[in-house]
Amino acid sequence: MSYRAIRAMRGLAIYAILSVFAVVMLFPFLVMVFTSLKTASDTFSYPPRLLPGEHVTIEMPGFERPLPLYNITAESGETKQMALVEENIRVGVFAPLDPAGRPNFNRTVIRRFGEVKLAGGAEGKQIVIDGQTAPVYEVESDGQIAEMIVLTRTTVGQFINPANPSETVLANVRLSQPVMRVAAHPENYAEVVNLLGFDRALTNTAMITLLTVIGQIFTSVLGGYAFARLKFPGRDQIFLLYLGTIMVPFVVLIIPLYQLMVAIGWVNAMPALILPWLYTAYGTFLMRQFFITIPKEIEEAALIDGASRWSILTRIFIPASVPALATLATFTFLYAWNSFFWPLVVVNTGNTRAQVLTLALNVLRGRASDSPNLILAGAAIAVIPPTLVFILAQRYYVESVTSSGVKG
Amino acid sequence: MTRSTFASASSAPGSGRALTLLAGWHVALSVALVGGALATLNSAAASEALRIAAAIGLALAASGSAAATLFIARRNHLGRTLSLVVNYIVFLACLIGLAHTLGVFMGLDDLADYMARGFPFGMGALFVVGYFISTTALHERPVSLARRNLGRVLMALGAIGFLLTAGVVPALASLPGKYISGNLLPLALTAGVMTTGYLLWSMWRGESARAMGAKNIHTERLNGWLFLSPNLLGFILFFAGPLLFSLYVSFTNWDSFNKRDWVGLDNYRRVFNLTVQALKTANQPAGDVIDVRVYDELLRANLFGQSYLIGAEDKRFWISLRNTLVFGLLAVPLAVIPALALAALLNSRLPGMRFYRTLYFIPSVAAVVGVALIWQWMYNSQVGWINYFITNAISLINSVLGSNIKDPQIRWLADSDYALLSVVIMSAWQWLGFNTVLFLAGLQTIPRELYEAATVDGANPGQQFFNVTLPMLAPTTLYVLTTTTIQALQVFDQVFIVSNGTGGPGTSTLTMTLNLYQNGFQSFRQGYASALAWVLFVVIFAFTLFQFRRQRRASGAYDM
Repeated sequence: MSYRAIRAMRGLAIYAILSVFAVVMLFPFLVMVFTSLKTASDTFSYPPRLLPGEHVTIEMPGFERPLPLYNITAESGETKQMALVEENIRVGVFAPLDPAGRPNFNRTVIRRFGEVKLAGGAEGKQIVIDGQTAPVYEVESDGQIAEMIVLTRTTVGQFINPANPSETVLANVRLSQPVMRVAAHPENYAEVVNLLGFDRALTNTAMITLLTVIGQIFTSVLGGYAFARLKFPGRDQIFLLYLGTIMVPFVVLIIPLYQLMVAIGWVNAMPALILPWLYTAYGTFLMRQFFITIPKEIEEAALIDGASRWSILTRIFIPASVPALATLATFTFLYAWNSFFWPLVVVNTGNTRAQVLTLALNVLRGRASDSPNLILAGAAIAVIPPTLVFILAQRYYVESVTSSGVKG
Repeated sequence: MTRSTFASASSAPGSGRALTLLAGWHVALSVALVGGALATLNSAAASEALRIAAAIGLALAASGSAAATLFIARRNHLGRTLSLVVNYIVFLACLIGLAHTLGVFMGLDDLADYMARGFPFGMGALFVVGYFISTTALHERPVSLARRNLGRVLMALGAIGFLLTAGVVPALASLPGKYISGNLLPLALTAGVMTTGYLLWSMWRGESARAMGAKNIHTERLNGWLFLSPNLLGFILFFAGPLLFSLYVSFTNWDSFNKRDWVGLDNYRRVFNLTVQALKTANQPAGDVIDVRVYDELLRANLFGQSYLIGAEDKRFWISLRNTLVFGLLAVPLAVIPALALAALLNSRLPGMRFYRTLYFIPSVAAVVGVALIWQWMYNSQVGWINYFITNAISLINSVLGSNIKDPQIRWLADSDYALLSVVIMSAWQWLGFNTVLFLAGLQTIPRELYEAATVDGANPGQQFFNVTLPMLAPTTLYVLTTTTIQALQVFDQVFIVSNGTGGPGTSTLTMTLNLYQNGFQSFRQGYASALAWVLFVVIFAFTLFQFRRQRRASGAYDM
């Protein structure tokens, strides 16, 4: 093989592996979106189907209700879409007898007991197979009368061909493939919003996220500038202290922070979900690292022109650091939007005024456990906005994850 | 420049009066602060430790204020610094206190009531649109004044509309009522804010600075502390203070309400208290050898033909420790090794790699709660996708190989043997993309020349991977391992959702953080839960240190 062919093969293999993983990464989200558009009964059908569907029905003259359509394989082997007319008909599965007197299992037919009659007149003809006696019936098949025996008795449904109502077939309803049509139910979203006050939770989450992002950018920009560009006693010691705190897990703070909120009277209130998160060592660190790369000369020229530190920060540093600000905003957005542990601690279950999306989802999980479509509609409301924000801001976000190497 | 020189020459007498006023203020403030410190010590409002701490803080401020008086009298620049710092602290305290008493913070809830009607969001959007129109108008050549004005009108409309629809007007209307309600606190705090605000301004002015002999470097220092102050305030109030308080609480038996006695190391003793007893027979009842009022049977072990029984005072801690370590041991390799392989593939510089990179990243930005709910549905043992895939894969294998493997029909989250594994899989899935991106960035920093040299030396791709890529990638690998481990050891959201907060079925998904939550916020043993938090902190810290040390040794081996 030529070098070019080997390279092409290698490229194809790489794309194949990456695509398989792409499917693995995306599949749960597809399940979420499509399940959220199903009806509750549709979610429990087996085998699972990805697309939301509903059973196709057809209006037929002479029938009050629309009739459900099924894919039925006729005795001739041809598959047709046929409408179910009647259910729970007691029938027998008949097998013809071959010349040796044995039943032929490959050519069975289904007939109502009213349609067939016993062979051999009044006394009845019987045949012994494997030591068991079985009555023989005369059954019409393909225009001929044949002698057959009953293999099993079962209940079936009667199907008719909508195009030709005289053509009827008996078949097992449960084993027949229903004709499905893709049908989305976006009203699930409206239902979930009404069920648990998701609208209030969405508003609260949006407000908390917005205020946390603004507040964090404010403190981080000011602090980052002070660490990067202003000389004052204790600066480097405080900066080291800040760096050390990045290692401390949040769980160590959760009890004292909760007690602090109790002391101020902020339990079950919005400020408890915003104010503790206005300071972050990570944000300050990120802004400081970015500000340090801005050339000093610009700032010195502005100082000589009599500009204040505040105007240097707002006129020179902030416009020059849009990528860092976008990164910090995205990180904070994701963190504030997705946080669960702290709201769980500080907001009681059932409180609606300070409800956030993740908490509402937790309640919904318990209350709508028999409607996965509603639960996943709620999950979609919580998952889709941050995903959109990430896709919009990913140019900055992914670059900065890779360059600064900090985890949210 | 000329303007300020002129100003300093002519306004010296004015700044002198202002400085006298400031000196007088600091005398009064010192007296008031000392009085406040004494009153705090004698009051019965809070615990003794808190009162002492507050009194010390007030006394420090009082001495700072007194020193400021002295230095101002001597026109020493230290006086300006001290005065500004003390007044700034008083200003902030009054401002925050005022906001609190006027209900500004709790007003966020009312704001949310109005926001929930949707209009304020529209008004905010109008404001933002107006801002964009007006700024883009200024970047055009020629500058379009009409467009700028249109943008400004939209901004004004948006701002006014927001104030009206967001309930700011009724909130402002309710303020005067709080002043005349007979409570003097809002009035006093407002007076404090205005006084210190005025004094800060008068000391910060250029005239006062020159009169006090302050130089640019002193102003820069003050600017530094001023710019850092919002950050530092958050750090002290919401991080450093709570951290120290948490350590203190872990030495008490606090039940979150009344009881809070110092118990020393008793919480930590209870966490780690184990007993090992030899058994006569392997299934001797536990009550024969351990005091069942104190200890629970943790496990039985057989060592050299002798059976032992290990009892623990807090059995759930040891179970949660085991679950957390098992979770970490499984989830970290699952989230790191495939990430490295994917990153190596993404690094092949073929078109479309950015698309895959973005795609892999998406799970890590989704809310863990939402992701857990999706996976919980996929794990459904009857109609879930995962069992459906397994059933199909097994029947495919059976039909191709003619083998007769039975479909296991795993019950995943409902089966205590598989529940933790289920959480491992969903967490690894969620963390994989993030680690891939980190590895990819690390791979892109490796110089191509190294691979060219290795190829010239006849190294095959496998040798290149182990002898060039892995050593060069060591810092990234360390970082990925550390952060993933820290995340894994703190796992909470996932297990809370899938087990309904119980850690079940049984205790199979009880992790350390969940155990802490149950102790602190379901049984309200907050002292004990704080001790558990510090134990978790130490475990995390130990893992991080261990990884750093191993890394240092490994990188030493590759030194050339």
